[in-house]
Amino acid sequence: MANAPTETLLRTPLYEAHQALGAKLVPFAGWEMPLDYGSILNESRAVRTGAGVFDVSHMARFWFRGASTAAELDHALGGCMTDQPIGKARYTMILQEDGGILDDLITYRTGEDAYFMVVNAANRVRDRDALVARIHQTSFEDITEDGGGILALQGPEALRILRELTGDAELAPGFLDLAWPDSPYGELFIARTGYTGEHGYEIFVTAEQAVPVWNRLLELGVAPVGLGARDVLRLEAALPLYGHEIHEEITPFDAGLRFAIKGWKTREFIGGEALRAKGDTERELVGFTAEKRVPREGYPVLAGGEEVGVVCSGVYSATLDKPIATAYVRKGVEGPFSVSARGKEFAVERVDLPFVPHRSRD
Amino acid sequence: MRPSDRSYLDSHEWALLDGDVVTVGITDFAIEQLGELVYLDLPSTGDSVSRGDSFGEVESVKAVSDINSPIDGEIVEINADLADNLENLQNDPFAAGWLIKVKVAGADALDGLKDAGAYEEIVAAES
Repeated sequence: MANAPTETLLRTPLYEAHQALGAKLVPFAGWEMPLDYGSILNESRAVRTGAGVFDVSHMARFWFRGASTAAELDHALGGCMTDQPIGKARYTMILQEDGGILDDLITYRTGEDAYFMVVNAANRVRDRDALVARIHQTSFEDITEDGGGILALQGPEALRILRELTGDAELAPGFLDLAWPDSPYGELFIARTGYTGEHGYEIFVTAEQAVPVWNRLLELGVAPVGLGARDVLRLEAALPLYGHEIHEEITPFDAGLRFAIKGWKTREFIGGEALRAKGDTERELVGFTAEKRVPREGYPVLAGGEEVGVVCSGVYSATLDKPIATAYVRKGVEGPFSVSARGKEFAVERVDLPFVPHRSRD
Repeated sequence: MRPSDRSYLDSHEWALLDGDVVTVGITDFAIEQLGELVYLDLPSTGDSVSRGDSFGEVESVKAVSDINSPIDGEIVEINADLADNLENLQNDPFAAGWLIKVKVAGADALDGLKDAGAYEEIVAAES
Protein backbone atom coordinates (compact mmCIF):
# COMPACT_ATOMS: atom_id res chain seq x y z
CA MET A 1 0.00 0.00 0.00
CA ALA A 2 1.34 3.41 -0.92
CA ASN A 3 1.02 5.45 2.23
CA ALA A 4 1.78 9.15 2.31
CA PRO A 5 1.22 10.29 5.88
CA THR A 6 2.24 13.92 5.71
CA GLU A 7 0.70 15.35 2.55
CA THR A 8 -2.87 16.58 2.50
CA LEU A 9 -5.12 13.62 1.96
CA LEU A 10 -8.17 13.64 -0.27
CA ARG A 11 -11.48 12.59 1.23
CA THR A 12 -14.38 10.83 -0.41
CA PRO A 13 -17.97 12.14 -0.07
CA LEU A 14 -18.46 9.42 2.57
CA TYR A 15 -15.63 10.47 4.86
CA GLU A 16 -17.96 11.62 7.66
CA ALA A 17 -20.08 8.50 7.23
CA HIS A 18 -16.99 6.34 7.78
CA GLN A 19 -16.02 8.34 10.85
CA ALA A 20 -19.52 7.97 12.28
CA LEU A 21 -19.25 4.19 11.82
CA GLY A 22 -15.98 4.12 13.76
CA ALA A 23 -13.88 3.15 10.74
CA LYS A 24 -10.12 2.88 11.03
CA LEU A 25 -9.14 5.53 8.48
CA VAL A 26 -5.72 5.22 6.88
CA PRO A 27 -3.79 7.01 4.12
CA PHE A 28 -4.09 5.09 0.88
CA ALA A 29 -2.82 6.35 -2.48
CA GLY A 30 -3.28 9.95 -1.38
CA TRP A 31 -6.75 9.43 0.10
CA GLU A 32 -7.97 8.92 3.64
CA MET A 33 -9.80 5.61 3.37
CA PRO A 34 -11.51 3.12 5.68
CA LEU A 35 -9.25 0.10 6.31
CA ASP A 36 -11.94 -1.61 8.36
CA TYR A 37 -14.96 -0.95 10.54
CA GLY A 38 -13.74 -3.26 13.32
CA SER A 39 -13.11 -6.66 11.74
CA ILE A 40 -11.53 -7.44 8.38
CA LEU A 41 -12.57 -11.08 8.73
CA ASN A 42 -16.22 -10.40 9.59
CA GLU A 43 -16.50 -7.86 6.79
CA SER A 44 -15.08 -10.42 4.35
CA ARG A 45 -17.62 -13.01 5.51
CA ALA A 46 -20.49 -10.54 5.14
CA VAL A 47 -19.70 -10.18 1.43
CA ARG A 48 -19.52 -13.96 0.89
CA THR A 49 -22.75 -14.69 2.75
CA GLY A 50 -24.96 -11.61 2.29
CA ALA A 51 -23.99 -8.23 0.91
CA GLY A 52 -21.38 -5.61 1.62
CA VAL A 53 -20.69 -2.14 0.30
CA PHE A 54 -17.26 -0.61 -0.26
CA ASP A 55 -16.52 3.06 -0.75
CA VAL A 56 -14.04 2.96 -3.62
CA SER A 57 -14.41 6.60 -4.56
CA HIS A 58 -10.63 6.97 -4.46
CA MET A 59 -10.36 5.07 -7.72
CA ALA A 60 -9.65 7.34 -10.67
CA ARG A 61 -12.50 8.02 -13.10
CA PHE A 62 -11.80 9.15 -16.66
CA TRP A 63 -14.02 9.95 -19.65
CA PHE A 64 -12.94 9.60 -23.27
CA ARG A 65 -15.18 11.07 -25.95
CA GLY A 66 -15.16 11.77 -29.66
CA ALA A 67 -15.42 10.03 -33.01
CA SER A 68 -11.85 8.62 -32.77
CA THR A 69 -12.21 7.21 -29.24
CA ALA A 70 -12.65 3.52 -30.06
CA ALA A 71 -9.78 3.42 -32.54
CA GLU A 72 -7.42 5.47 -30.38
CA LEU A 73 -8.11 3.51 -27.19
CA ASP A 74 -7.73 0.30 -29.17
CA HIS A 75 -4.16 1.37 -29.88
CA ALA A 76 -3.53 2.82 -26.39
CA LEU A 77 -4.74 -0.21 -24.39
CA GLY A 78 -3.99 -3.92 -24.43
CA GLY A 79 -7.58 -4.96 -25.00
CA CYS A 80 -9.61 -4.66 -28.17
CA MET A 81 -11.78 -1.58 -27.75
CA THR A 82 -13.39 -1.31 -31.19
CA ASP A 83 -15.43 -4.45 -30.62
CA GLN A 84 -16.46 -3.59 -27.05
CA PRO A 85 -20.27 -3.61 -27.08
CA ILE A 86 -22.04 -0.39 -26.12
CA GLY A 87 -23.52 -0.89 -22.65
CA LYS A 88 -20.85 -3.34 -21.49
CA ALA A 89 -17.79 -3.19 -19.22
CA ARG A 90 -14.48 -4.79 -20.13
CA TYR A 91 -11.34 -5.57 -18.12
CA THR A 92 -8.04 -4.69 -19.78
CA MET A 93 -4.69 -3.03 -19.15
CA ILE A 94 -2.27 -0.30 -20.18
CA LEU A 95 0.98 -1.83 -21.36
CA GLN A 96 4.45 -0.46 -21.85
CA GLU A 97 6.12 -0.78 -25.26
CA ASP A 98 8.00 -3.80 -23.86
CA GLY A 99 4.77 -5.56 -22.88
CA GLY A 100 5.12 -4.87 -19.14
CA ILE A 101 1.94 -3.87 -17.32
CA LEU A 102 1.53 -0.18 -16.37
CA ASP A 103 -1.90 -0.75 -14.85
CA ASP A 104 -5.08 -2.74 -15.14
CA LEU A 105 -8.44 -1.05 -15.57
CA ILE A 106 -12.04 -1.37 -16.65
CA THR A 107 -13.55 0.44 -19.62
CA TYR A 108 -17.30 1.06 -19.78
CA ARG A 109 -18.58 1.83 -23.27
CA THR A 110 -21.56 4.09 -22.78
CA GLY A 111 -22.06 5.06 -26.43
CA GLU A 112 -20.61 4.74 -29.91
CA ASP A 113 -18.05 7.46 -29.13
CA ALA A 114 -17.93 7.49 -25.32
CA TYR A 115 -15.89 5.35 -22.93
CA PHE A 116 -15.76 5.71 -19.17
CA MET A 117 -12.69 4.24 -17.45
CA VAL A 118 -11.73 3.38 -13.88
CA VAL A 119 -8.06 2.92 -12.97
CA ASN A 120 -6.14 2.35 -9.73
CA ALA A 121 -5.94 5.38 -7.44
CA ALA A 122 -2.19 4.96 -6.96
CA ASN A 123 -1.62 5.18 -10.72
CA ARG A 124 -4.00 8.02 -11.51
CA VAL A 125 -1.43 10.60 -12.61
CA ARG A 126 0.83 8.19 -14.43
CA ASP A 127 -2.06 6.53 -16.28
CA ARG A 128 -3.50 9.92 -17.18
CA ASP A 129 -0.16 11.08 -18.59
CA ALA A 130 0.36 7.86 -20.54
CA LEU A 131 -3.16 7.82 -21.94
CA VAL A 132 -3.23 11.49 -22.88
CA ALA A 133 0.06 11.01 -24.74
CA ARG A 134 -1.43 8.07 -26.64
CA ILE A 135 -4.62 9.78 -27.83
CA HIS A 136 -4.78 12.65 -30.32
CA GLN A 137 -8.32 13.44 -31.46
CA THR A 138 -10.12 12.02 -28.43
CA SER A 139 -11.23 14.38 -25.65
CA PHE A 140 -10.14 13.39 -22.14
CA GLU A 141 -11.62 14.32 -18.77
CA ASP A 142 -10.47 13.27 -15.29
CA ILE A 143 -13.54 13.49 -13.01
CA THR A 144 -11.99 11.76 -9.98
CA GLU A 145 -12.38 14.84 -7.78
CA ASP A 146 -15.87 15.87 -8.89
CA GLY A 147 -17.28 15.03 -5.45
CA GLY A 148 -18.96 11.86 -6.65
CA GLY A 149 -17.62 8.37 -6.31
CA ILE A 150 -18.06 4.64 -6.58
CA LEU A 151 -19.97 2.37 -4.22
CA ALA A 152 -19.31 -1.33 -4.80
CA LEU A 153 -22.27 -3.45 -3.72
CA GLN A 154 -21.11 -7.07 -3.60
CA GLY A 155 -22.42 -10.41 -2.41
CA PRO A 156 -25.08 -13.04 -3.09
CA GLU A 157 -27.79 -10.63 -1.88
CA ALA A 158 -26.61 -7.79 -4.15
CA LEU A 159 -29.36 -8.08 -6.77
CA ARG A 160 -32.15 -8.16 -4.18
CA ILE A 161 -30.63 -5.10 -2.49
CA LEU A 162 -30.20 -3.28 -5.80
CA ARG A 163 -33.87 -3.85 -6.62
CA GLU A 164 -34.91 -2.49 -3.23
CA LEU A 165 -32.59 0.49 -3.62
CA THR A 166 -33.98 1.43 -7.02
CA GLY A 167 -37.56 0.27 -6.44
CA ASP A 168 -37.29 -1.65 -9.73
CA ALA A 169 -38.23 -5.28 -8.99
CA GLU A 170 -37.55 -6.31 -12.59
CA LEU A 171 -34.00 -5.01 -12.75
CA ALA A 172 -31.69 -7.82 -13.95
CA PRO A 173 -28.42 -6.65 -15.51
CA GLY A 174 -26.28 -9.40 -17.02
CA PHE A 175 -22.61 -9.93 -16.13
CA LEU A 176 -20.59 -6.83 -17.16
CA ASP A 177 -23.77 -4.98 -18.23
CA LEU A 178 -24.14 -1.26 -17.69
CA ALA A 179 -27.54 0.11 -16.64
CA TRP A 180 -29.09 3.46 -15.76
CA PRO A 181 -32.06 2.58 -13.54
CA ASP A 182 -34.32 5.26 -12.08
CA SER A 183 -34.27 5.47 -8.31
CA PRO A 184 -35.48 7.73 -5.48
CA TYR A 185 -32.02 9.37 -5.81
CA GLY A 186 -32.41 10.09 -9.51
CA GLU A 187 -30.97 8.03 -12.31
CA LEU A 188 -28.12 5.79 -11.15
CA PHE A 189 -25.24 4.67 -13.36
CA ILE A 190 -24.36 1.08 -12.47
CA ALA A 191 -22.21 -1.71 -13.85
CA ARG A 192 -22.33 -5.38 -12.96
CA THR A 193 -18.66 -5.50 -12.04
CA GLY A 194 -16.63 -5.91 -8.89
CA TYR A 195 -13.45 -7.09 -7.22
CA THR A 196 -14.63 -9.87 -4.94
CA GLY A 197 -15.64 -12.76 -7.20
CA GLU A 198 -19.23 -12.37 -5.99
CA HIS A 199 -22.34 -11.25 -7.84
CA GLY A 200 -22.13 -7.49 -7.54
CA TYR A 201 -22.55 -3.98 -8.86
CA GLU A 202 -20.51 -0.84 -8.92
CA ILE A 203 -22.68 2.24 -8.52
CA PHE A 204 -21.18 5.45 -9.91
CA VAL A 205 -22.77 8.07 -7.72
CA THR A 206 -22.83 11.84 -8.14
CA ALA A 207 -21.86 14.14 -5.27
CA GLU A 208 -25.58 14.45 -4.41
CA GLN A 209 -26.25 10.72 -4.52
CA ALA A 210 -23.25 9.42 -2.55
CA VAL A 211 -24.44 9.86 1.04
CA PRO A 212 -28.16 9.03 0.60
CA VAL A 213 -27.40 5.92 -1.46
CA TRP A 214 -24.79 4.75 1.08
CA ASN A 215 -27.18 5.34 3.98
CA ARG A 216 -30.00 3.51 2.22
CA LEU A 217 -27.74 0.51 1.56
CA LEU A 218 -26.85 0.31 5.25
CA GLU A 219 -30.57 0.60 6.14
CA LEU A 220 -31.21 -2.36 3.86
CA GLY A 221 -28.80 -4.42 5.96
CA VAL A 222 -25.72 -4.15 3.76
CA ALA A 223 -22.46 -4.33 5.76
CA PRO A 224 -19.95 -1.51 5.34
CA VAL A 225 -16.69 -3.13 4.21
CA GLY A 226 -13.22 -1.59 4.25
CA LEU A 227 -10.16 -1.88 2.07
CA GLY A 228 -8.68 -4.59 4.33
CA ALA A 229 -11.51 -6.99 3.51
CA ARG A 230 -11.42 -5.86 -0.12
CA ASP A 231 -7.85 -7.17 -0.33
CA VAL A 232 -8.83 -10.47 1.32
CA LEU A 233 -11.79 -10.96 -1.03
CA ARG A 234 -9.93 -10.09 -4.21
CA LEU A 235 -7.08 -12.44 -3.31
CA GLU A 236 -9.50 -15.27 -2.48
CA ALA A 237 -10.90 -14.74 -5.97
CA ALA A 238 -7.31 -14.50 -7.36
CA LEU A 239 -8.07 -11.12 -8.93
CA PRO A 240 -4.77 -9.33 -9.60
CA LEU A 241 -3.65 -6.17 -7.83
CA TYR A 242 -1.25 -3.67 -9.37
CA GLY A 243 2.06 -3.67 -7.47
CA HIS A 244 1.59 -7.32 -6.50
CA GLU A 245 0.55 -9.81 -9.20
CA ILE A 246 0.99 -7.25 -11.96
CA HIS A 247 3.54 -4.48 -12.54
CA GLU A 248 6.04 -3.24 -15.10
CA GLU A 249 8.19 -6.39 -14.95
CA ILE A 250 5.23 -8.68 -15.53
CA THR A 251 3.46 -9.31 -18.84
CA PRO A 252 -0.20 -10.30 -19.19
CA PHE A 253 1.07 -13.79 -20.12
CA ASP A 254 3.05 -14.14 -16.87
CA ALA A 255 -0.04 -13.14 -14.94
CA GLY A 256 -2.35 -15.55 -16.75
CA LEU A 257 -4.40 -12.60 -18.05
CA ARG A 258 -4.34 -13.36 -21.77
CA PHE A 259 -8.11 -12.79 -21.89
CA ALA A 260 -7.53 -9.11 -21.08
CA ILE A 261 -5.57 -8.51 -24.30
CA LYS A 262 -8.08 -9.80 -26.78
CA GLY A 263 -6.76 -10.01 -30.34
CA TRP A 264 -3.12 -9.68 -29.25
CA LYS A 265 -1.89 -11.92 -32.06
CA THR A 266 -2.99 -9.57 -34.82
CA ARG A 267 -3.93 -6.15 -33.44
CA GLU A 268 -1.64 -3.13 -33.51
CA PHE A 269 -1.41 -1.71 -29.98
CA ILE A 270 1.27 -0.42 -27.65
CA GLY A 271 3.06 -3.43 -26.21
CA GLY A 272 1.63 -5.84 -28.78
CA GLU A 273 4.77 -6.27 -30.84
CA ALA A 274 6.85 -7.05 -27.74
CA LEU A 275 4.29 -9.58 -26.51
CA ARG A 276 4.27 -11.38 -29.87
CA ALA A 277 8.07 -11.47 -29.88
CA LYS A 278 8.31 -12.73 -26.29
CA GLY A 279 6.02 -15.68 -26.66
CA ASP A 280 5.63 -17.94 -23.68
CA THR A 281 6.99 -17.16 -20.25
CA GLU A 282 9.26 -18.89 -17.80
CA ARG A 283 7.25 -18.24 -14.66
CA GLU A 284 3.68 -18.73 -13.65
CA LEU A 285 1.33 -17.34 -11.07
CA VAL A 286 0.42 -20.03 -8.56
CA GLY A 287 -1.65 -20.27 -5.38
CA PHE A 288 -0.49 -21.49 -1.99
CA THR A 289 -2.24 -22.21 1.27
CA ALA A 290 -0.46 -22.45 4.60
CA GLU A 291 -1.31 -23.85 8.02
CA LYS A 292 -0.87 -20.90 10.37
CA ARG A 293 1.52 -18.22 9.20
CA VAL A 294 0.66 -15.96 6.29
CA PRO A 295 3.11 -16.14 3.36
CA ARG A 296 3.54 -12.41 2.78
CA GLU A 297 4.61 -10.25 -0.13
CA GLY A 298 8.30 -10.62 -0.93
CA TYR A 299 8.90 -13.87 0.96
CA PRO A 300 11.09 -16.19 -1.16
CA VAL A 301 9.51 -19.45 -2.33
CA LEU A 302 11.72 -22.53 -1.93
CA ALA A 303 11.64 -26.02 -3.43
CA GLY A 304 14.34 -28.64 -2.98
CA GLY A 305 16.46 -26.18 -1.02
CA GLU A 306 16.51 -23.73 -3.92
CA GLU A 307 14.80 -20.37 -4.34
CA VAL A 308 12.26 -20.82 -7.15
CA GLY A 309 9.97 -17.83 -6.80
CA VAL A 310 8.56 -15.02 -4.69
CA VAL A 311 5.25 -14.31 -2.96
CA CYS A 312 3.10 -11.53 -4.54
CA SER A 313 0.27 -11.23 -2.00
CA GLY A 314 -0.70 -13.05 1.15
CA VAL A 315 -3.66 -12.69 3.46
CA TYR A 316 -5.58 -14.68 6.01
CA SER A 317 -8.61 -16.00 4.14
CA ALA A 318 -11.81 -15.54 6.10
CA THR A 319 -13.67 -17.91 3.79
CA LEU A 320 -11.16 -20.78 3.98
CA ASP A 321 -10.07 -19.91 7.54
CA LYS A 322 -6.40 -20.28 6.64
CA PRO A 323 -3.61 -18.25 5.08
CA ILE A 324 -3.53 -17.96 1.28
CA ALA A 325 -0.99 -16.43 -1.08
CA THR A 326 -0.14 -15.93 -4.72
CA ALA A 327 3.42 -16.29 -5.97
CA TYR A 328 5.40 -16.28 -9.17
CA VAL A 329 7.24 -19.59 -9.46
CA ARG A 330 9.56 -20.91 -12.16
CA LYS A 331 7.53 -23.04 -14.56
CA GLY A 332 7.77 -26.78 -14.21
CA VAL A 333 9.06 -26.80 -10.63
CA GLU A 334 7.46 -29.57 -8.60
CA GLY A 335 6.84 -29.17 -4.90
CA PRO A 336 6.88 -29.62 -2.06
CA PHE A 337 7.16 -25.86 -1.58
CA SER A 338 8.02 -23.76 1.42
CA VAL A 339 8.48 -20.05 2.02
CA SER A 340 11.11 -18.26 4.01
CA ALA A 341 9.55 -15.84 6.47
CA ARG A 342 12.06 -13.49 8.05
CA GLY A 343 14.64 -16.27 8.22
CA LYS A 344 12.24 -19.03 9.26
CA GLU A 345 10.98 -21.57 6.78
CA PHE A 346 7.47 -23.00 6.74
CA ALA A 347 5.61 -25.34 4.40
CA VAL A 348 3.01 -24.17 1.89
CA GLU A 349 0.74 -26.27 -0.30
CA ARG A 350 0.16 -25.47 -3.94
CA VAL A 351 -3.52 -25.19 -4.86
CA ASP A 352 -5.47 -24.18 -7.96
CA LEU A 353 -6.55 -20.56 -8.42
CA PRO A 354 -8.92 -19.04 -7.55
CA PHE A 355 -8.98 -20.05 -3.90
CA VAL A 356 -12.72 -19.34 -3.74
CA PRO A 357 -14.81 -20.04 -6.88
CA HIS A 358 -16.21 -17.03 -8.72
CA ARG A 359 -19.95 -16.46 -8.47
CA SER A 360 -19.92 -13.14 -10.31
CA ARG A 361 -21.82 -14.63 -13.28
CA ASP A 362 -24.46 -16.38 -11.12
CA MET B 1 -4.61 4.47 31.71
CA ARG B 2 -2.79 1.14 31.46
CA PRO B 3 -1.98 -0.87 34.61
CA SER B 4 0.38 1.14 36.82
CA ASP B 5 1.84 -1.95 38.54
CA ARG B 6 4.19 -2.63 35.61
CA SER B 7 6.75 -1.07 33.28
CA TYR B 8 6.66 -0.53 29.53
CA LEU B 9 8.94 -0.61 26.53
CA ASP B 10 8.43 1.94 23.71
CA SER B 11 7.71 -0.91 21.29
CA HIS B 12 4.57 -1.77 23.31
CA GLU B 13 5.66 -4.61 25.57
CA TRP B 14 4.99 -4.67 29.32
CA ALA B 15 7.04 -6.14 32.18
CA LEU B 16 5.71 -7.03 35.65
CA LEU B 17 8.21 -7.84 38.41
CA ASP B 18 7.40 -10.40 41.11
CA GLY B 19 10.41 -11.46 43.23
CA ASP B 20 13.14 -12.25 40.72
CA VAL B 21 10.75 -13.20 37.90
CA VAL B 22 9.39 -10.77 35.33
CA THR B 23 6.25 -11.59 33.40
CA VAL B 24 6.29 -10.13 29.87
CA GLY B 25 3.43 -9.35 27.51
CA ILE B 26 2.32 -6.89 24.84
CA THR B 27 -0.06 -4.01 25.41
CA ASP B 28 -3.66 -3.48 24.33
CA PHE B 29 -2.38 -0.70 22.06
CA ALA B 30 -0.13 -3.19 20.22
CA ILE B 31 -3.11 -5.51 19.83
CA GLU B 32 -5.31 -2.69 18.57
CA GLN B 33 -2.70 -1.69 15.98
CA LEU B 34 -2.29 -5.28 14.79
CA GLY B 35 -5.97 -6.10 14.55
CA GLU B 36 -7.18 -9.69 14.38
CA LEU B 37 -4.43 -12.10 15.43
CA VAL B 38 -3.69 -15.29 13.50
CA TYR B 39 -0.33 -16.56 14.76
CA LEU B 40 2.05 -16.35 17.68
CA ASP B 41 5.62 -17.63 17.86
CA LEU B 42 7.29 -17.88 21.28
CA PRO B 43 10.76 -19.15 22.23
CA SER B 44 11.46 -22.06 24.58
CA THR B 45 12.06 -22.26 28.30
CA GLY B 46 15.78 -21.89 28.99
CA ASP B 47 16.40 -19.41 26.17
CA SER B 48 18.01 -16.08 27.04
CA VAL B 49 16.45 -12.74 26.20
CA SER B 50 17.98 -9.26 26.09
CA ARG B 51 16.35 -5.89 26.37
CA GLY B 52 15.30 -4.51 23.00
CA ASP B 53 15.92 -7.79 21.15
CA SER B 54 13.17 -9.76 19.47
CA PHE B 55 12.19 -12.99 21.22
CA GLY B 56 9.05 -13.81 19.28
CA GLU B 57 6.60 -12.80 16.59
CA VAL B 58 2.93 -12.04 16.54
CA GLU B 59 1.02 -12.01 13.29
CA SER B 60 -2.36 -10.54 12.47
CA VAL B 61 -4.54 -10.47 9.39
CA LYS B 62 -2.72 -7.25 8.49
CA ALA B 63 0.91 -7.61 9.55
CA VAL B 64 3.74 -9.46 11.28
CA SER B 65 5.42 -7.82 14.26
CA ASP B 66 8.46 -8.65 16.36
CA ILE B 67 7.98 -8.93 20.10
CA ASN B 68 10.91 -7.34 21.93
CA SER B 69 12.10 -8.17 25.39
CA PRO B 70 11.91 -5.35 27.97
CA ILE B 71 14.50 -7.11 30.19
CA ASP B 72 17.62 -9.29 30.23
CA GLY B 73 17.38 -12.79 31.66
CA GLU B 74 16.51 -16.43 31.14
CA ILE B 75 13.06 -17.72 30.25
CA VAL B 76 11.65 -19.93 33.02
CA GLU B 77 8.12 -20.36 31.69
CA ILE B 78 6.16 -19.68 28.52
CA ASN B 79 2.40 -19.35 28.12
CA ALA B 80 2.31 -22.57 26.13
CA ASP B 81 -1.46 -22.65 25.49
CA LEU B 82 -1.61 -19.14 24.14
CA ALA B 83 -0.70 -19.87 20.50
CA ASP B 84 -3.77 -22.11 20.26
CA ASN B 85 -5.96 -19.70 22.22
CA LEU B 86 -5.15 -16.37 20.62
CA GLU B 87 -8.42 -14.89 21.87
CA ASN B 88 -6.77 -14.68 25.30
CA LEU B 89 -4.08 -12.46 23.83
CA GLN B 90 -6.56 -10.54 21.69
CA ASN B 91 -8.95 -9.76 24.55
CA ASP B 92 -6.85 -9.85 27.70
CA PRO B 93 -3.25 -8.87 26.87
CA PHE B 94 -2.45 -7.68 30.42
CA ALA B 95 -3.46 -10.92 32.19
CA ALA B 96 -4.47 -14.15 30.41
CA GLY B 97 -2.46 -13.06 27.37
CA TRP B 98 0.94 -12.96 29.13
CA LEU B 99 3.74 -14.39 26.97
CA ILE B 100 6.83 -15.41 28.95
CA LYS B 101 8.29 -15.36 32.48
CA VAL B 102 11.92 -14.40 32.76
CA LYS B 103 14.30 -14.85 35.68
CA VAL B 104 16.23 -11.61 36.15
CA ALA B 105 19.38 -10.73 38.10
CA GLY B 106 17.83 -8.21 40.45
CA ALA B 107 15.11 -5.68 41.19
CA ASP B 108 16.87 -3.12 39.00
CA ALA B 109 15.96 -5.21 35.94
CA LEU B 110 13.19 -2.75 35.09
CA ASP B 111 15.32 0.39 35.41
CA GLY B 112 15.09 2.56 32.33
CA LEU B 113 11.67 1.31 31.27
CA LYS B 114 8.69 3.65 31.16
CA ASP B 115 5.99 3.82 33.79
CA ALA B 116 2.32 3.78 32.78
CA GLY B 117 2.15 7.58 32.60
CA ALA B 118 5.18 7.91 30.34
CA TYR B 119 3.96 5.02 28.18
CA GLU B 120 0.64 6.83 27.76
CA GLU B 121 2.54 9.63 26.02
CA ILE B 122 4.07 7.13 23.56
CA VAL B 123 0.62 5.81 22.77
CA ALA B 124 -0.81 9.31 22.36
CA ALA B 125 1.97 10.20 19.94
CA GLU B 126 1.34 7.10 17.83
CA SER B 127 -2.45 7.21 17.90
